[in-house]
Amino acid sequence: MSWTKNIQGKGPMQAVDAVYAAGPEARAVAAAQRRLRAALQSQAEQVYYDVLPRSPLGAVYLAAGRDGLLAVGLATDEPGFVRAVARRTGAMPVRSAERLRHARQQVDEYLRGKRSALQIEVDLSYVTPFQRAVLEAARRIPRGTVITYGEMAARLRRPRAGRAVGQALAHNPVPILVPCHRVVSAGGELRGYLGDRVGLKARLLKLEGVPMLGDRCQIAGRSGAGR
Amino acid sequence: MPDPTFEALVERHSAEIYAYLWRLLRDPEQASDALQDTYLRALRAFPRLKHHEHLRAWLYTIATNRARSLVRQRAGHESRQQEMTEEMADLQASVGQRVMDRETRRRVRAAVERLPSKQREALILRRYQGLGYDEIAAIVGGTTAAARMNVHLAQRRLKAWLQPEDEEGRPSRRRGVS
Repeated sequence: MSWTKNIQGKGPMQAVDAVYAAGPEARAVAAAQRRLRAALQSQAEQVYYDVLPRSPLGAVYLAAGRDGLLAVGLATDEPGFVRAVARRTGAMPVRSAERLRHARQQVDEYLRGKRSALQIEVDLSYVTPFQRAVLEAARRIPRGTVITYGEMAARLRRPRAGRAVGQALAHNPVPILVPCHRVVSAGGELRGYLGDRVGLKARLLKLEGVPMLGDRCQIAGRSGAGR
Repeated sequence: MPDPTFEALVERHSAEIYAYLWRLLRDPEQASDALQDTYLRALRAFPRLKHHEHLRAWLYTIATNRARSLVRQRAGHESRQQEMTEEMADLQASVGQRVMDRETRRRVRAAVERLPSKQREALILRRYQGLGYDEIAAIVGGTTAAARMNVHLAQRRLKAWLQPEDEEGRPSRRRGVS
């Protein structure tokens, strides 16, 4: 039966009503309202930020709320970072060297190769559950090693979700702290980092002692050049 | 929450504003994002607001602007997301809706989305959100007469677009020539 015949019996506006009048499901409304209340609640919390002006990776911006560090900005500027944090948290971040002192110092030491582990609380409550699972998995990759997007997907028991994993990592709000740079493509190519900043990714991996062959890195546990 | 009145505003109107955004965007997730954006913007401007009796219309205005920019953004990259949304909507459709076949609903949605934004907004505000023409004028911009005209034009266009045009078997004019 053609679609027009279906409409014919009722009249076009009744067909429109059938699609639009009922509105969203009660469950969807309740979920949206829950999210809204949570977002407005977080608005009441203060978010602070500061910058590490001259790190080996250039200026590094850091923002933290009550529950930990929630944003790291590389290859950005102050207004851009503030805007991104405000958008994510719904709060207007306030610059505070004091509140970020501890995190700033650790990140600085880490990037200068004077520290091998970061002990900073990270707040991942602003990302989706899937992205959080990906980021949590990335945090478990040890320093000095890399894995592929496919392996990451397999670890999450979503073997076909390689692309989704790539997307989740590409939108990592806290690079360096969540080491998304330790995930590379199957051939060891570094592929994207914060858009096209593959150079930053290479520098982080070198800093962590990952063997590099030109613009590729060696993937642990793979037979291949250099093994 | 900084202002108890603002909290009341959330409780009183959020379901209604969500339904409006859902009707404009036809995507539960995007509607939820847009609802958050709407209220966060509202929260920032709330202390400066003088006429608290217009709060509802004011929320509708912010929501309308938010939805417009989302619709503009996604105009470029439809396809997969849209398909998934359609499938989700199919799954979520009420029993009454399910009796209409999928193709019919797709056509109806496509027709509504094809309307100029002011007409689509005015139609949804009038017919499904139950607002008066003066309120609609305040929300989408323009005069009360223009609001009335927008609703009228929207309905006329939808009727024309969704009316069976041809004898059975003949290709419909709207499908055009490939």
